Amino acid sequence: MEKSSDFMLYTRIQQKEKAALEQLYDRYEKILFSFLYKMTEDRDLAEEALQEVFIKLWRGKGEYDESKGKFTSWLFTMSRNSAIDLIRKQKKPSVPLDEIGDLVSPETAVEELAEWQEQKDQIQEAVSELSSEQQKMIQLFYFKGMTHETISTMCDIPLGTVKSRIRLALSKLKKTLHGVQERGAIDDEY
Amino acid sequence: MNTNCDHVVDYLNGTLTAEEKQAFEQHLATCADCRELVDAVGELPYLAEPAEPPVGMKSRILANVFEEEPQKQAEPERQVKKEKTVPMVKPKARRSSWAPLIAAVLLLSLLGNAYAFFKLADEQQPATESAFQSIELQPGEAFGGSAKAAIIQEEGSLEVVVQAEQLEQLQGDEVYQIWLLKEGQPVPAGAFTPDADQQGSAYYSMTENTEGWDTIAITREPEAGNETPEGEIVLSSEI
Ligand SMILES: [Zn+2]
Repeated sequence: MEKSSDFMLYTRIQQKEKAALEQLYDRYEKILFSFLYKMTEDRDLAEEALQEVFIKLWRGKGEYDESKGKFTSWLFTMSRNSAIDLIRKQKKPSVPLDEIGDLVSPETAVEELAEWQEQKDQIQEAVSELSSEQQKMIQLFYFKGMTHETISTMCDIPLGTVKSRIRLALSKLKKTLHGVQERGAIDDEY
Repeated sequence: MNTNCDHVVDYLNGTLTAEEKQAFEQHLATCADCRELVDAVGELPYLAEPAEPPVGMKSRILANVFEEEPQKQAEPERQVKKEKTVPMVKPKARRSSWAPLIAAVLLLSLLGNAYAFFKLADEQQPATESAFQSIELQPGEAFGGSAKAAIIQEEGSLEVVVQAEQLEQLQGDEVYQIWLLKEGQPVPAGAFTPDADQQGSAYYSMTENTEGWDTIAITREPEAGNETPEGEIVLSSEI
């Protein structure tokens, strides 16, 4: 239900319906901003990246259809790429590996319950089943947007194997998430 | 897993070339493995801690988004001025001079015929059931403009595409009207007005009376919608 209505909104955006863009904005503002903030660690940059995303959507750059997976996957990929562009333009000096936060931030007692808590619990559980090396790969590649070269230097692994390690980590994530989702489905039945 | 699957990381990173990206997206449509991986990765953003958006962000962003849009809504609804969109169409046709026409056909219709036209123009090889004819129209006296027409005849249908340039500007309600003639009897076959670059194009499709036309002509008509020509002929050619 949710997905098809995302797709409906997207279709209406392509027809230049401002109200549809605004609805989509309202629906994803919070998660997108939080995600972009996690990536950029800078509120201004996160806002800039978010604006890029909606400009691209409005101009019809990049086309979505259901053969490309979920709408949110597509939207998040586009958002991540906007953030990466900005991060790389900044040319911040690279931070030592041990100062880069963990993929999953340690939970605090007073943590605000996210609107996306259910998805968060699932993906968090799936991630926790990965090796720490795989978690690190995902953190550096996905959230920090590091180039393969940087990852190679930072983790002291040959450049030629960075891509396959990332891919392996993502494949594993796919499996563990699948497992979590299946267990969830079974839990729901009882 | 095939070699296409290797591209998934580059796809996620947006580092594929346009062609590679297109190829991968085709792969994605048929490879459940890659799609599941993309969707699993698509869950990662939910790991983010909730962050409160800055005050006023929504109005700033929406204002910028709608402002960024170039003004192009106000164009009249005529079958013209489509050339601006040409670069969006994959430049497949090697005969570059025809590319805008092909683009115009593709843009203006979702007709199956458009594909036949496209193929024909591309391969320059008439298929069995359709005929493609390209015509250079001759300007009348004292007319500086030029035009080309493509006529695509298929079983039960006839399509006419005209592309003109260096057109004289029109006044008031005037239009350039295209006519097909059979033994001196004209029928209207599309109209256009020049854009800022003095170019214009039109696409016209007919399903009745598709055979036997001997002449194509363009007149400068005082208004659109005339059933018989009132203005003078500015461009014409035998078919
Ligand atoms: Zn694949």
